Amino acid sequence: MNVLKDKKAWFIFIAPALLFYLGTVFVPIIQSLNYGFQDWNGIKDAEYIGLGNYTRMFQDPYFWNSVQNNLVYVVIVVLMQVFIGLFFALLLSYVKKGAGIFRTLYYLPAVVVTVAIAQMFRNFYSLQPLGLLNMFLDWIGLGYLQTAWLSNPHTALIAVSLPEGWRFTGMYMVIFYAALIAIPKEIEEAATIDGVNGWQLIRHIKLPSIKHVLSLALIMCTTGALRGFDIPYIIGVPGSTTELVTTYMYKKAFATNQFGYGSSIAVFIVIESLIAVLIIRSIFNSRKGEA
Amino acid sequence: MPSKKKALSFLLYFIVIAILIVQIYPVVWLMLSSFKSSIELTTKPFSMPTSWSLDNYGAVFRDSALLLYIKNTAIVTFSCLLLIVFLSSTAGFALVKMNFKLNSKLLLFFTVGIMIPIQVTLIPLFIMYKDFGLLNSYLALILPQVGFALPLSILVFTSFYSYVPNELIEAAVIDGCNIYQVFYKIISPLTVNTTITVASINFVLIWNDFIFSNTFTNDKQYKTISVGLQEFIGAFGATDWGQTFAAISISIIPIIIIYLFLNKYLMAGVSDGAVKG
Repeated sequence: MNVLKDKKAWFIFIAPALLFYLGTVFVPIIQSLNYGFQDWNGIKDAEYIGLGNYTRMFQDPYFWNSVQNNLVYVVIVVLMQVFIGLFFALLLSYVKKGAGIFRTLYYLPAVVVTVAIAQMFRNFYSLQPLGLLNMFLDWIGLGYLQTAWLSNPHTALIAVSLPEGWRFTGMYMVIFYAALIAIPKEIEEAATIDGVNGWQLIRHIKLPSIKHVLSLALIMCTTGALRGFDIPYIIGVPGSTTELVTTYMYKKAFATNQFGYGSSIAVFIVIESLIAVLIIRSIFNSRKGEA
Repeated sequence: MPSKKKALSFLLYFIVIAILIVQIYPVVWLMLSSFKSSIELTTKPFSMPTSWSLDNYGAVFRDSALLLYIKNTAIVTFSCLLLIVFLSSTAGFALVKMNFKLNSKLLLFFTVGIMIPIQVTLIPLFIMYKDFGLLNSYLALILPQVGFALPLSILVFTSFYSYVPNELIEAAVIDGCNIYQVFYKIISPLTVNTTITVASINFVLIWNDFIFSNTFTNDKQYKTISVGLQEFIGAFGATDWGQTFAAISISIIPIIIIYLFLNKYLMAGVSDGAVKG
């Protein structure tokens, strides 16, 4: 059909989207790479300093501290979203009546405005005035555990990680649930006839069947946590206990106008995410080899 | 055996409901608290409000610009949705249904965008907007949201188009339609569900955006809920939680209502995206 080879029409259909994408995603990335090699505060003339920002970054203890915090953040968020999400999904896949309602309501936290969640948790964690969590501890007789969760350096990082984990657990549950109920019933039935018990069914039939979804979710969740920003930025404490790579980059760029240095940290986030994707992919691919 | 099965099923529902409480109790608690006086808030935090006072809500509407922030958020969100649906449905159509060698490479180029962290574009966009005088404008919020929404949205549309039989297009062409009419009269009406799916996924993401709003606006006139809510809370000090909760409730009730109406489509987008991808 000639109409489907109409070059002009093709261009008219694609060009607007491509322009938006180039202008707001692609060009800025190239510029970020470029700024990363410059010493620039946005006002005086930019000066090319080669890898200067990167050497500075690798010698910057605050930067390394933020990388470390970010790893803890990733672990907590991934554990909650992928593992608890998977557990919820497995449970829900056995529910016959009302699964749809549970699914809808589990997902609810994911649509609530992040700032609202952040402020809500700030209240829960508060010691002065007494927040929900501390009241609850008192109520169940663990009052001696009360603390100002966000400003106590031992708990602050965990305290900023939990809301993020909590709010998207339902989203990952929805993804896993959809994958689980898409497994053909015949496979399960055949396995049950062969005498496979419930746990074996999960371990050897269900989980392997949704492996590609698991790996995709793990990638989404890990890269999401590596670029985690909102909640730690909003309720994190001044100082370094809750500093993540993104919040550090943001402060360097927009609070101290170190656009060059900020850009090199931003480039680090991209590279770090790519490495994470490659690692997760290779883990899942090697598992495929074993089976 | 039946009684054992019954017990198991009871246990299952018990756990599922317990999880549900953990998932939504914080939000319910917050909304209930917004009706309490500050004294009641601290003395009876877990009980139902005794008088269902609307004082907190009155104070929010009287003393804050929350309605303005909601209006701004709505303007930005709906402009974005219009653009996203228009751009991704047309581009997706050309990428799937039209015959060009470049198509697969372009699709890949678009989808790579899913992996790009938005933070990497903040500094260049900020500088670009500053140079063009776009900081503190709706446009500064709309442009990047649309750009970043395109990869996923195009992907959702292309997966729908790949199920549309070519015969349908052929028949329309024989009937005398040109390519634009094929798209506008034949294909678009079929994409209603996909359009709602794309719109609802992006609605949640854009309505909730914090980082773009926080970076590109500081003028009250253009603040969105995310940034406005934060400033609002600061302005009253951390102690007036009643008003804070009322403000939060006002800002999350619309999105929860819309979510409950559209959740079928949102679920379709979220789960299909991952299961098929």
